Amino acid sequence: MNFNTTPQAASADTGPTIVTRKLHTLVDLQCDRTWFEELQNRVSRNGPWDDWTLYQLAMEAEQAKRIESFDELLCLRSLPTFEPMPHQISTARKVVHEMGGRAILADEVGLGKTIEAGLILKEYIVRGLAKRILVLVPASLVLQWVRELNQKFGISAVAQKKAHTWGYDVVVASIDTAKREPHRELVLGTDYDLIVIDEAHKLKNKKTTNYQFANLLRKKYCLLLTATPIQNDLDELYNLITLLKPGQLGGQSEFAANFVVDKRLPKNEDQLQEALSSVMIRNRRGDGGIHFTKRIVKNIPLTLSPEEQALYDGVTGFVKERYEESGGDLSSMLSLVTLQREVCSSRDAVFLTLVNLFKKTAEDSPMRPKIWELVEVIRGIKANTKAEKAMELVKEMNEKVIIFTEYRATQEYLLQFFRAQNMAAVPYRGGMNRGKKDWMMDLFRGRAQILIATEAGGEGINLQFCHHMINFDLPWNPMRVEQRIGRVHRLGQTEDVKIYNLCTIGTIEEHIVNLLHEKINLFELVIGELDHILEKLEKTDGSLEQRLARLLLEAGNDTELKQKINHLGSSISRIRDEVISNEDPLDGGPELVVNLDSLGQKVEIRP
Amino acid sequence: MNEKQVHKFVNRYLEATECSILEKSPAHFTVKLSPFADRELTNRPYYWSFVDRVGAEPETMTFLFVTDKQKYDAVEEIPVPPEADSTATDKDSAANAALGRSLGFVHGSLAAPARVPREDLYFGARKLEQIFDAAKAKGSYVYLFQEPDKRSHNPFSSTPYTAWLGVNMRVEFASDRKREEIHCFGVSLATGQCVEHFLDRLLMHKLTPRLPANIHITKNGISFNKALGIVEQALERKLRSYDYSWAEGATERLAEELERISEYYELLIKNATEESRPVIEEQFTQRQSEIRWQYEPRVTASAINCGIFHLEGIE
Repeated sequence: MNFNTTPQAASADTGPTIVTRKLHTLVDLQCDRTWFEELQNRVSRNGPWDDWTLYQLAMEAEQAKRIESFDELLCLRSLPTFEPMPHQISTARKVVHEMGGRAILADEVGLGKTIEAGLILKEYIVRGLAKRILVLVPASLVLQWVRELNQKFGISAVAQKKAHTWGYDVVVASIDTAKREPHRELVLGTDYDLIVIDEAHKLKNKKTTNYQFANLLRKKYCLLLTATPIQNDLDELYNLITLLKPGQLGGQSEFAANFVVDKRLPKNEDQLQEALSSVMIRNRRGDGGIHFTKRIVKNIPLTLSPEEQALYDGVTGFVKERYEESGGDLSSMLSLVTLQREVCSSRDAVFLTLVNLFKKTAEDSPMRPKIWELVEVIRGIKANTKAEKAMELVKEMNEKVIIFTEYRATQEYLLQFFRAQNMAAVPYRGGMNRGKKDWMMDLFRGRAQILIATEAGGEGINLQFCHHMINFDLPWNPMRVEQRIGRVHRLGQTEDVKIYNLCTIGTIEEHIVNLLHEKINLFELVIGELDHILEKLEKTDGSLEQRLARLLLEAGNDTELKQKINHLGSSISRIRDEVISNEDPLDGGPELVVNLDSLGQKVEIRP
Repeated sequence: MNEKQVHKFVNRYLEATECSILEKSPAHFTVKLSPFADRELTNRPYYWSFVDRVGAEPETMTFLFVTDKQKYDAVEEIPVPPEADSTATDKDSAANAALGRSLGFVHGSLAAPARVPREDLYFGARKLEQIFDAAKAKGSYVYLFQEPDKRSHNPFSSTPYTAWLGVNMRVEFASDRKREEIHCFGVSLATGQCVEHFLDRLLMHKLTPRLPANIHITKNGISFNKALGIVEQALERKLRSYDYSWAEGATERLAEELERISEYYELLIKNATEESRPVIEEQFTQRQSEIRWQYEPRVTASAINCGIFHLEGIE
């Protein structure tokens, strides 16, 4: 293992490149002589010589970057674009100056563990103490981390995509990828100056491959991020700390003897806290929790026009027929389920899919005329009930509003629809490049009243200046709904947020709204709760989306469908109640086995 | 570095590298880079290898460097009232056109001039960091002469000059934490005299890469190697007098950490089965070397840049 500050290799002819001199009983002075060799080379070859002004500038730059003292937090002077909160700064300071750069950051959800980790990363980079850095996160968070490190901290982090990406200095990767060959060998063969593991509670079980992999990593500094360090079992905590500082809580049996009465019951808590305080920081939200403004949800029931209803029935029948023909094969059916969802959104959306389906179908297939029949039904539709309702709402509120839809075709239709009424609407979608996205944002902030968006998970679209949103249609994935709301309902929003769900009666949409609103109570959950609910739900039987699709296809008739969905709904309610009762409502976070209140500060956050 | 210092720094870099500044204010530069600066700053190695191989006329990039974002934006931003009057001004119709286009894929390339990318240069910004690096890459080794004083210029006499080895050293004091010092040494190659703060002395004179007329350089009394030894000794002597309590602290922490993992692993190894023992032992060794890597105190000295300087007088 080489110290990164110590260039190795000695050249034979001019003597050693590094000369060691004794300074103190504990420290040697190592003089790097590479400069001298190069200078001699240039003298003997009579150049080339550099410019005097650049020579001076190089020195000025070095003087500006010089690290004056051991214990200042230097990263702050190079982060003019944002201001970290006081508890984040004090956490970073403590990790760097008192904990030797190995710590569990266990703040409650929403207090900015990522920011704290970013500050620590930046500090070590600025000080020249860390160069090779690996950030391991769940796959879904890779891009978010990359973006955050680049934009907020000016750290050139790269998302791991191919084997050669491992060569970059700062790499963000999913642990599931990293632990597999061919990546595994590359990662385990590297000495990392700093390793960050996000969602570290997933490493609590010693027997998992992820834990064993993490334990093999070679590192100097190490940060583990988790909001729930000890949720079920004291051993979880022991395992996490062993990754970081083996022996901090003694050997396994010693730990059991000293600190554990039962899996969930600690003893000698004071000593335990003492032992933890040198490896863990946990800041908590103040009693009021985060002071978000309210969410006011309004479901707007709509009745389809007879023509629209005919199309809906036609499509439903078509989809079911295909499913029966396929003999109950679900996987090939998912594209047809899309039809069923699109028909609730707009005829334009369903039209496009139908035409594509028509093109793909063999010319002699009996399906073709059936598809065309549906297309003919579409032609009969003259008005869009939802669009008209949306227009009415927008005119009523007379303020900025975001309309979310799942479908590009619906988006195009709405743009034209509003424009025809002389109302300024701008589009926003995932496929736009950064510049165009920014431009659309600017237009929306400025003169357009309406933003019509197909994407919500997008790169930091912050729309606090707007507090109305219309869900023109609802995604079947609750996380996506939450993302939509999160664009508007976030820190910095000063108004109550009004959410309108357009929902057509007698369609699958009615059921979806009911599930999300009544059963999951999605619109009123505290941040983080939805994650837990979905995690539990998915453990049993696949994602909500898949389940809904199955119900829809398998149900013989409307009453049966209703029954099945009600059944799903009550099982969701049950899970929700479990999750919520498990959590201390004041705390906003899940209950922990050990009280960690002394390991950090209370933070009051105001919008 | 504050905004002013950054501005001055960038200005001097651009001038030294012969970039053409098209427009500037105290808050920004619009600059067409010189080929020299373009190679350093635009990350276009393929383009430049193409130009070099084909011998084509290079087209360098133009940048907007903003050195004081606040001031620049305040001047640039023409305030548009959000509730603009419905009377169609030019701006309105332009925005309307933009709204109209937003659906399609019209690229506004007709009226738009060539794109001038904007870079905000503040301390910590990546582009400024790149300019720092560029200055260092091409400002590392110099060979210079003091320009003779015009007044005392006598065409018939020759002024004696002394050659000096000058080096700017960065000294790093590191364990799991770190601080740095910069020392500027100069050693007279004629007499072996060593002075500190040599850079300050250099900055008092005008220096030129050309050998001035009517001077002669005193014969070197010591070798380069000897001069190197003198510099390192001077540094060592200086550093010996420092306070090393930080290193003592680090060594203590190191010992504590080593003891802690020893206890942990020794127990583990004792109870391990025959086959799992080597794995645990290997891990133990790895953890030990990690901790040394993390805490072991060390002092390293390396050069930022250096040169041979010929100064008036015999010292």
